[in-house]
Amino acid sequence: MSVVGAVEVAGLTKRYGRIEALRGVDLAVAHGRVYGLLGPNGAGKSTLIRALVGSLRPTSGSVRVLGMEPTAHRAELRERIGYMPQGPALYDNLSAHDNVKFFGGAHHMPDLAERVREVLDFTELADRAGDLVYTYSGGMKRRVSLACALVHRPDVLFLDEPTAAVDPALRARFWLAFRDLAARGATLFISTHLMDEAMLCDEVAVLRQGRVIAADTPVRLLQRGRTRLIVRTGDNELEYTIGGRPEDLAAALQAYGLAPDVRSVEVRGDTLESVVLDLVAAEDDQ
Amino acid sequence: MRRTLLVAGRVLRQLRRERRLLGLSIVAPLVIVFLLKLFLDTMPPDLSRARYAVPVAAFLVHFLAFLLCAIVLVQERTAGTLERMFVNGVTRSQVVGGYLLGYLGLATLQTVAALTEVLLLFRLSYSLGTLVVLFVVVWLLAVASVMLGVFVSTFARSEAQVFPFIPMVIVPSVFLSGLLLDPDLLPTWASLLGLLLPLRYANNVIQEVIMPGGSLGAVWPNLLVLAGYSIILWLLASRTLTEVD
Repeated sequence: MSVVGAVEVAGLTKRYGRIEALRGVDLAVAHGRVYGLLGPNGAGKSTLIRALVGSLRPTSGSVRVLGMEPTAHRAELRERIGYMPQGPALYDNLSAHDNVKFFGGAHHMPDLAERVREVLDFTELADRAGDLVYTYSGGMKRRVSLACALVHRPDVLFLDEPTAAVDPALRARFWLAFRDLAARGATLFISTHLMDEAMLCDEVAVLRQGRVIAADTPVRLLQRGRTRLIVRTGDNELEYTIGGRPEDLAAALQAYGLAPDVRSVEVRGDTLESVVLDLVAAEDDQ
Repeated sequence: MRRTLLVAGRVLRQLRRERRLLGLSIVAPLVIVFLLKLFLDTMPPDLSRARYAVPVAAFLVHFLAFLLCAIVLVQERTAGTLERMFVNGVTRSQVVGGYLLGYLGLATLQTVAALTEVLLLFRLSYSLGTLVVLFVVVWLLAVASVMLGVFVSTFARSEAQVFPFIPMVIVPSVFLSGLLLDPDLLPTWASLLGLLLPLRYANNVIQEVIMPGGSLGAVWPNLLVLAGYSIILWLLASRTLTEVD
């Protein structure tokens, strides 16, 4: 018996006249995973997500979300997917509360009022939920947009560059929220052009000019890279290029006296972002 | 129906927040009617003021309802909220129905305000029956105008693309619907073209009932045409509004 994945795409193409935005995309996402779609601007990330949520009709190929074809099973699928577009896609002259209530109201939810409060709490908007959206900062609008996508408890969430133009602190909070949702059983399909976010995903696909050029776990993708090893002894400086695996680093260091039974060596330094966040947190504590 | 009412409720909530838009939408026709009064005061006294004043009030309601609805719905598309509604399960006909219900409130206010000003300013007095007919016909015209705005918006991808449609709808309405010229004096092709315009049917009724001794008897089918016009536009707009690109 075959298990239906959360998202299954095979040979997907989308053509706009002479422009081919997607050129035979294949990918599969299992339930409960955080799947990252990486790629530069114009790679076709938004086009792919719009095809997955049923806003775009593919030129050819097949798309299945929770085993259903998005344009054919619109009504059924709508209740089970959430979508956060790249732009705010909010009513500026309504409050955050009214926006979330409106989009949630499109679904059959007997506990709508309570659920609206819940997602506004979850996105830390409760204090300003009654203010009109046009008074919000860009980051707050992203949070309202996320709340609108979450309100009906979807099984699969499609988030198109959710952290674009968001400051590092809020970005970190967003990713905590994403991992929290995945821990509760949701599947998240997240596009980004920020490579450090890829490490926070369970799996990633790299999209370039409408094609998936690599799909793997972030760690395995990283191991495909090269490491520059610079060793200084006295006045000498030697530079080696070794593989990206921890085993490669251990093997290279054995020439410098590393015990032979050390199988692998990994170096996990702080990123500049985490250093800055720690500084900000320390400042807040004072 | 639940989602239609949801969209209508949201449209009304937004209109309530847009006090300036709401105010201007009602005040602008009143100002234009006032300017018309100043203009008609310079005309020879035997010219029938009512023959121009009442249809112009109807035309203003028609123009504003059409324009507002077309632009606001296109804004939904450009802001991404239309796509978001569709992804959340709202269908095309529910969006169209919601907009119709939402804007009917504004159109009703405009109808009452413009007609009341015309009656007071031009010191026109009609029987209660005639007043009811005038209100109903201008209101039906407003419904058709909202539907025309929704229909036109389905062909525009941006606010700028709405603007070419404005003269296409409004200029023929001014010249071919009987607002300025008797349609019987128009060349055949122009008269036939005028049959495509909702203002033509509204004007047919208005010109008849405001005449001394005029009655709805001979012109009531125009009201049915106006209602039918709205229904056809609703069906068309429900098909031309694209849910899937």
